[in-house]
Amino acid sequence: MTDVGRHPRITLHTLSEIKDVNGYVGNFDVSILKRARYVDENECTACGDCAEACPVIRPDEFNLGLSSRRAIFSPFPQAVPSAYVLNANECLGHNPVVCGKCLEACDKGCIDFHMSDKEIVEHVGSIVVATGFDVYDPTELDEYAYSRFENVLTSLEFERLINAGGPTGGEVLRPTDRQPARSIGFVQCVGSRSAKKGGNYCSNICCMNTVKSTLMLKEHYPDMDIKVFYIDIRAFGKGFEELYTRSRRSGVHYIRGLPGTVEEDPDKGLSVAVENTATGNLEIHHLDMLVLALGLKPAASTQRLQEMLGLQLNPDGFFLEAHPKLQPVDAATRGIYYAGCAEGPKDIKESVTQASAAAARAIRLMHKGEITTEAITSMVIEEACKCCGKCAEVCPYNAVTVDVKKKIPASVNTAACAGCGTCAAECPFDAIIMNHFTDGQILNQVHTALEESTQEKILVFACNWCSYAGADYAGVSRLQYPPNVRLIRTMCSGRVDEKFIWDGFRAGAPVILVSGCHIGDCHYIDANHWTEKRVKKVHKKMAKMGIRPERLQLEWISAAEGVRFAEVMDGMEKLRQSVTPEEIAETVQLLKE
Amino acid sequence: MTEIDVNKTDPYFARDIMNQPGGEKIWACFSCRTCTASCPIAAINHTFNPARIIRMALYGLKQDILRSDFIWFCSNCYACQERCPQGVRITDIMTLLKNMAIQGGYMPSGIKSQMDIIKGEGRIYPIDDFDNKKRAKAGLPPLPTSCEVVKALFS
Repeated sequence: MTDVGRHPRITLHTLSEIKDVNGYVGNFDVSILKRARYVDENECTACGDCAEACPVIRPDEFNLGLSSRRAIFSPFPQAVPSAYVLNANECLGHNPVVCGKCLEACDKGCIDFHMSDKEIVEHVGSIVVATGFDVYDPTELDEYAYSRFENVLTSLEFERLINAGGPTGGEVLRPTDRQPARSIGFVQCVGSRSAKKGGNYCSNICCMNTVKSTLMLKEHYPDMDIKVFYIDIRAFGKGFEELYTRSRRSGVHYIRGLPGTVEEDPDKGLSVAVENTATGNLEIHHLDMLVLALGLKPAASTQRLQEMLGLQLNPDGFFLEAHPKLQPVDAATRGIYYAGCAEGPKDIKESVTQASAAAARAIRLMHKGEITTEAITSMVIEEACKCCGKCAEVCPYNAVTVDVKKKIPASVNTAACAGCGTCAAECPFDAIIMNHFTDGQILNQVHTALEESTQEKILVFACNWCSYAGADYAGVSRLQYPPNVRLIRTMCSGRVDEKFIWDGFRAGAPVILVSGCHIGDCHYIDANHWTEKRVKKVHKKMAKMGIRPERLQLEWISAAEGVRFAEVMDGMEKLRQSVTPEEIAETVQLLKE
Repeated sequence: MTEIDVNKTDPYFARDIMNQPGGEKIWACFSCRTCTASCPIAAINHTFNPARIIRMALYGLKQDILRSDFIWFCSNCYACQERCPQGVRITDIMTLLKNMAIQGGYMPSGIKSQMDIIKGEGRIYPIDDFDNKKRAKAGLPPLPTSCEVVKALFS
């Protein structure tokens, strides 16, 4: 961190908050609110004279309230920049009658009470989101009695206790009587792997953190009685199993079973009831201290940042990567990358790996000075645009700008456009041309496919990434499916305009299938949500007109579902056979009117 | 440790439980034993062990469970269900198992006689003239000594 602070080409904004992010890959404008430090960070040498003079005493957040600090303080020993900071809400004020003691104490005159919050706009080319995590609050887990008994600690509090720079200088003392603890228990999976309280995912780091803690304890206190209550110890990764073995060899008791109740003894020790899975017996363990290995949860700022940057979250609330295997550090929005726990719980090594990857991805993007994009982007015919704003609403990438009030026609940012074609499909005035997948091109395919023996044809719209690839896979797997299927490829199922469907039926198509990636797997963030809505709308219209809505089907088929593709096609063929020539003629007649 | 005769297990027992309201999530048990460690009955009576009952059910030991006395020991305090990290509705499953036991014709004699008392008297503690005399002394109104309504419910 110190190197980052010193680097001439890295600007570090501390005490800062992102207010808004505008723009697109290569051209982001980030509005930052930089809070006043009230101390000149270039002049301050962190001598600490001001803090000595300060009469205000507050709990130290870095030590989780286990020690105290002043209203003017250094957040923690290695803080970057190495300068003190004044908390204006706690400070008594600079009026000499009231206080102002720090002003007098500072020989260099670094303290300035007239500093104010600043709004800065930074122009950047790419963004790495590395907002970290929060820990789970165990208060709601009443069985562990965190809020009732002082000797129940969280893993973070324990970390401060055993740290040589911590409030006790590294001595593990019981909070109640400040006496050395002789026995310590660790409870694993607190707020992790739970369907009801906390996250239902494994938090990844707690097992190894506990193993590390037990080893540190055994190093300092070889006679200490250490018990770990766990469900599974997940020690995968280089050197981890070895560490776990070392911990067991050093005499740490690993007891499989989570505590059900924790009671306080008269001597402020704790009685922990656990059923030992190995023996099948209910055991009561008497311990001096209990440490809860807290799970990780997404940082509180995640949601706001997600809205500002137009990113996605996975069901656990962490940021979602563009592809879990092939693009693990990229966001679906170009020019944005993830590093560390913002993307999911991970340890230091993995965080460093991901951060290095994110930096390399950003460099790869930026070093050329310009980017190459696919020519498949949309284009607005300004004369035809009625400025309704629908296209801007549906664009998953915020690549379309249109001013509905001032009636400024839509314009597409080709750097941000990924080419799904949802805007062109939704435009009610046909004012958007989707290059390489124009209305004319697709309609020609529809008509050609239905030219001969129309009533035997199955018209299928398949998206490039999933369904079309699924059809490929069915072919490569040598699966049989009806030969009368006619596939029309679009980049995304979101491109399938209502018009294509109506034209298909008007040309005499017995059945039509729209297919795309599964919901949540769309390669254009959430463009297939619009497909779903559109198909529902068409279904309603068909019912109203007296056309059987079943004749239009919507199916999600992934690239790996070759078998499913073949099955769906068999289903479509059965459906096609149920459509009589009279029914088709009637539909054609209805649609011509 | 008792031996399990795999030929006598019912592979569909867990599925039958899953198909009933309350039993859906029985598969989710990962044997963390929070339920047993929380159970006030298990603390005093080792024959009752909610985690073991759930595991037995998942193994398909249908007869061993339904013919047992122990499923009737549950006091329905819901501590296990509240604390189960996997959302297994353990107390509801105990009720389910009791229902299945009765459907299968298994009921401990104690429970049977309790049921007969309720059927006849409308309450678990029968009221007779002795009680009513005591109530009259205390200035309380008399209670009915039998209850036809409950009988009607049972028929």
